[in-house]
Amino acid sequence: MDRNQITKWLKAPAKMANKYSLHAIYFCTGCGIIEVPPVITSRWDAERFGVIPVATPRQANLFLITGYVSVKTLRAIIRTYEQMPEPKYTVGFGSCPINGGMYWDSYNTIKHLDKYIPIDGWIAGCMPRPEAIFIAVTHLWTLIDKEMANGYIRYRENYKSYRRNQESALGKLEWPPLFLVSNESQGNEQ
Amino acid sequence: MESMVAKITQIILSPVLALIVGVFFLGLARKIMARIHWRYGPPLIQPVIDMIKLFYQKGVSHGRMFDLGIILSLAGSIVVVLFLPFGRIAPLSSSGGLLVILYIMLLAPLGMALSGGQGANPNISIGISRKLILSLGYEVPLLLVLLTVMTRYKTISIMEVVSAQQSTSWSIISFPLFLSGLSYFLILPAILGIRPFDMSSAPQEISSGPMVEYGGKYLALATIEHAFVLFISIALFVNLFLGGAANPVTFFLKMLVVFVLGLCINAVFPRFRIEQAIKYLWKWPTLLAFLGLIITLAIRS
Repeated sequence: MDRNQITKWLKAPAKMANKYSLHAIYFCTGCGIIEVPPVITSRWDAERFGVIPVATPRQANLFLITGYVSVKTLRAIIRTYEQMPEPKYTVGFGSCPINGGMYWDSYNTIKHLDKYIPIDGWIAGCMPRPEAIFIAVTHLWTLIDKEMANGYIRYRENYKSYRRNQESALGKLEWPPLFLVSNESQGNEQ
Repeated sequence: MESMVAKITQIILSPVLALIVGVFFLGLARKIMARIHWRYGPPLIQPVIDMIKLFYQKGVSHGRMFDLGIILSLAGSIVVVLFLPFGRIAPLSSSGGLLVILYIMLLAPLGMALSGGQGANPNISIGISRKLILSLGYEVPLLLVLLTVMTRYKTISIMEVVSAQQSTSWSIISFPLFLSGLSYFLILPAILGIRPFDMSSAPQEISSGPMVEYGGKYLALATIEHAFVLFISIALFVNLFLGGAANPVTFFLKMLVVFVLGLCINAVFPRFRIEQAIKYLWKWPTLLAFLGLIITLAIRS
């Protein structure tokens, strides 16, 4: 771990602080959330990686999408994601958000989550072991280091198409667009 | 001229020291809690890492009062720190005393309440109302305790209380005042807002209450404010009951002992409901504080 390397801290404090202080919002989006309690409590102790759960999206910068995403949950997921302050990272946990998984022909679940919100990394498996969350976190560190965890930038740039996909899945959305859709200027949050 | 420079140095130094001690306590709290839970725990500097991250994040404001309220509460805490002696570092303690501290200490929760009111989230309203009810609970024994100390030493100046204790013995082991000291220690978790009394910022019930709309630099300022509150309530206890200290290092060690004791309470207790907390606070601590006051008055006359 390079948490103690002073030179890296002086060169890019924001990047280093983002790496070692991932506050995950605990929003139980699906069955996979059952793997999270052992991760954050005594058995595997995510706090030594700086990962702690927080209760509100305003304080969070890591969003774990755990398990299948029903249409109704997608609405809440999008609102939660949009309320998180930038920079923010999303990790899809389990097979279902990737391609539908065992719900591949369900009428009520979303098959490809990354059509609706940007995803920085995937953890495949049904269910992945709790240790997989740590592998994901260390991979996310590498991605942040190489500036490849840029989901929030992609969301800003391609907001128009994301919004279109969201509207096609959910019908009319009752909240205003997060960014101005017409030009590239950045809007403010609702 | 010489004393002027010394005074200005102290005025700058004392909030900085308080901030360092408070943030160190926040980190230590997480580490010790982790060890009590049989976990490894985060590094000691984790709150600093969090704060750096939060200052770089893009926070969301909900209006003018949302910004100003948190600054008001931070300013209130910094002013209280100036009036509190930290070892011999006591910039303004000659011009004020316990009464001034009591008044200005109210600014911190008030600023948070104002800021939260603009946030307009139902969780904030619930959290603020719980916080104010809780402070109603602990203010009664706290005022009785402070009244007892002022009556016993016949002064409102903390410096004189400290020097009186250093010439005789600590208040906590002197006869009528140990009741008040015990009472203060019993309400200390409520003042700090730690575990048996953390219902105002319960993450599981009301999404961390007043903090729910804070993100980015607002959350960082709220964390700093929390660090100051930690410092103030423990430093007041050390000054009034543990004899203060001649130098900052001894003072810090005394604070550390009190804080670790509080943490052990924090680690093993579940959360009270708000009416259970009031029932507790108005029973044993108030009774002890009242008894201490009566005995002190009886001895004095």
